[in-house]
Amino acid sequence: MNTKTLMYIVKRIVLAIVTIWVVITVTFFVMHAVPGGPFTGEKAVSETVMAAMEAKYGLDKPLGVQYVTYLGDIITKFDFGPSLKQRGRNVNDIIFDGMKTSAKLGVIAAVIALICGVILGSVAALRRNKLIDRVIMIITTAFVSMPSFIMGSLLLIAFAINLKWFPANGASKNGLVLPIVTLSLYPMAYITRLTRSSMLEVLGQDYIRTAKAKGVSGWKIIFGHALKNSLIPVITYFGPMLAGIVTGSLVVEQIFAVPGIGRAFVNSITGRDYPLVMGTTIVLATLIVIMNLIGDILYKVVDPRITLE
Amino acid sequence: MKKKLVSLVLASSMVLSLAACGSSGTATTDTGSADTAQTGADSTQSSDTAASDTAATAEPVGEQVINVCLASEPATLDPALNSSVDGATLITHLFSGLAKWGQDASGNLVLQPDCAEALVEGVENADGTVTYTYTLRDGLTWSDGQPVTANDFVFAWNRAVSPALAADYGYMFEVVDGYDAIWADGATGEEKLNVNAVDDKTLEVTLVNQVAYWNELLAFPAYMPVREDVVSNESWATDPSTYVNNGAYTMTGWDHNSLITLTKNDKFVDADKITMNEINFYLSDDANNMLANFENGDWQFIDDVPTNEIASLKDTYPDEFVTAGQLGTYYVCWNINEKILPASSTLTGAEKAAAENEIRNALALLIDRNYIVNDIAQGGQVPASSFVAMGLTDADGSQFYENAGPDSSFTGYYDVSEAAYESNWESAIETLKKYYTYDEATGQFSDVPTLVYLYNTSEGHKAIAEAIQSTFAGIGITMNLENQEWATFLETRKNGDYSIARNGWLGDYNDPISFLDMWTTASGNNDVQFGKGENKDVKAFSLDLTDLGYDTKVENGTWAETYDVIIKDIKTCTDINTRYQLMHRAEDLLMSTGCLCPIYYYTDLYMINSNVQGFFSSPLGYKYFMYCTITG
Repeated sequence: MNTKTLMYIVKRIVLAIVTIWVVITVTFFVMHAVPGGPFTGEKAVSETVMAAMEAKYGLDKPLGVQYVTYLGDIITKFDFGPSLKQRGRNVNDIIFDGMKTSAKLGVIAAVIALICGVILGSVAALRRNKLIDRVIMIITTAFVSMPSFIMGSLLLIAFAINLKWFPANGASKNGLVLPIVTLSLYPMAYITRLTRSSMLEVLGQDYIRTAKAKGVSGWKIIFGHALKNSLIPVITYFGPMLAGIVTGSLVVEQIFAVPGIGRAFVNSITGRDYPLVMGTTIVLATLIVIMNLIGDILYKVVDPRITLE
Repeated sequence: MKKKLVSLVLASSMVLSLAACGSSGTATTDTGSADTAQTGADSTQSSDTAASDTAATAEPVGEQVINVCLASEPATLDPALNSSVDGATLITHLFSGLAKWGQDASGNLVLQPDCAEALVEGVENADGTVTYTYTLRDGLTWSDGQPVTANDFVFAWNRAVSPALAADYGYMFEVVDGYDAIWADGATGEEKLNVNAVDDKTLEVTLVNQVAYWNELLAFPAYMPVREDVVSNESWATDPSTYVNNGAYTMTGWDHNSLITLTKNDKFVDADKITMNEINFYLSDDANNMLANFENGDWQFIDDVPTNEIASLKDTYPDEFVTAGQLGTYYVCWNINEKILPASSTLTGAEKAAAENEIRNALALLIDRNYIVNDIAQGGQVPASSFVAMGLTDADGSQFYENAGPDSSFTGYYDVSEAAYESNWESAIETLKKYYTYDEATGQFSDVPTLVYLYNTSEGHKAIAEAIQSTFAGIGITMNLENQEWATFLETRKNGDYSIARNGWLGDYNDPISFLDMWTTASGNNDVQFGKGENKDVKAFSLDLTDLGYDTKVENGTWAETYDVIIKDIKTCTDINTRYQLMHRAEDLLMSTGCLCPIYYYTDLYMINSNVQGFFSSPLGYKYFMYCTITG
């Protein structure tokens, strides 16, 4: 790795930290500006109880002071504080629990999507305009255009209610199969299409023609020469996609009752659970920033022609 | 050769994806309770009181495990901190207080002694306070084997009420002597409730006065005992390893946001009466998902159903779809400070207030509650004509709402029967004509100020808002709809920044005071803004209690001089008949303002598999699975 690349990475990391700091600051102040508080409920608590609660969690202090304390706790102790709604639990634990499920779901779905997508895309490219290509393209078009709540509901009705092959909730045995399939179909279809088009482009390049002229067999050309170069757009897509699946699986979590981070995030906002809103936002933002960074660095690895600056 | 390769690639991609799936669990289909092997599970409880009875001869089958889903993760399972109904159901299975709800021989819900040997009568002291002395039963133990003592109750109650804990339901102890001192300005933090452990087995508690619903409070989660050394760990109630309780079940698993498992506690003093060995509480708040799990047989009980499926579920599952009564009222509330008279009106003071009351009450008559209940809500709700909900009992055990209102020819404050709708409509139009310009030809009022109806974002609330909107539009009243996200909505409504808002109230215990004391001037639930803002100085309320033996006689007084006074009288009244009459008077005063427009009494909708026997629920919505059996 040359100094230029190193400099680039350092620069990107600094930029990432600044990005996350901006996210923290904006979220913190916007969150407190939204009407309603963590202790408002259908049944109002008395003012004395409210005051006692606010004092207990430091919400009675000026916002600036709260902000400084909050930042300090994150930086020095990596402590996101206690949840205001789930009493007795702290945000670190809640996020850890949620991420455990979401990460498992997301990583498996992403790997399936990547493997199946690349293989199907290569096959489609190689058999361009043949029957198999058409079939793959029709199916992937359907998957790309179908939102996950429809796909999830369809799978739920077919495999959980009618066939009863899998349970309808994420808490039961094999409960994650259907959500994983639901999550993987869209990126798989997308990767298939990306791979196909970039593969077709690569197959038209001179060096492929040279290889063909040398008498290299079709499959060897694909896997030995063409695939690596045609993966560049897939890699660009894969980082953000992984972050997207892990952080954005809310709809699927809801349909299949999976205890992931998405549900925790949305519930924290409706409940004005300030520390949990902050914690999930920071974790999700960090994840997206890191994934993008990794994606950019991987670029360089697969294509030395790209200079990072 | 090439063709083969393609299929090889496809096949391998499938294998890969299967392998990836496989890592999330082995590929078997196991649904826990679906085990059909007959085991010798105990079946001491008769099953004829089940909510959904099938063949009376059905025998318990399988391992007696039930999978249920009430709601998403409870905010807490600390009995003192809990404020949710689903949390209360779990706590009811995990803790045992002095009293509990149970069924008598004929299936009626009654309060029974639990940890106490008997639910004793209180002894009135010279100063009007009342002292109860309870003896604890023999053999009470905590789930870790230690004995339950009277001191555990003393500690738990003082903890539940303490400002340090700041529990939502701390006010449930306001009837206990010493409560006021604890929350008084300048309290030192050393004040305690008047509760004493005479010895390990004798508990003495003094109340400020006779309290009709005291036994009911004893069965409330906040009154459950907890042990000092257990709760000194602030996160004790978040993990099975630190959760020490004294009830019918122990917590054997808590996979956060996913599943709570309760297993029968063999050390429980009444363990022989508990028929269900294991209860899995699945944690989900998605009604569609609940229904999917119910329909495929994985879950035997779900506490919520998708609103738009109600009509079809009633047909598809006539025995399993259950509508139970609930202590609650869905209503529309007015901001009392909203200007509703035409701009040309010159009325002021008490006259203005009287006119507004009349207008609001007339508008309430226009709403077709039967249509809302039958065609929109569709959940067996009952059209409401009073604020205090159906299900709350009067002094003589009859329904409080049936005795409410000025006229005995119908129930409540207006006749909400279908037959009366037309005459209601006509009388409402006549009333409105007194204040607004009416065009007889078109049947439209022309100078009613534009109203705004506020509701929290939800399809159900929206549909009701639209029904009311179209009714009003029919006579020329423009009412715009505005929706807000839940927490924002609560804040807006509480602050009185609205003209009309959707509202709802569920009682905490079977006593009408839980619907009435929320409307005092200083109450945090006084969404109507009675006695606040401009209304603070409006002298337009009258109260005469001289016939009930009180000195109170106010002609055109403020809200604070009337309503606040009667609520205070109710809280200190020791004669049960007088007390209930006072509560009727309070509701009369409340309803005369027209600020509360009841729509329907809530019902509790749930689905229970027909192979579950012995289930019951309480009007507060608590569900009891401990005496259930699963049959064939």
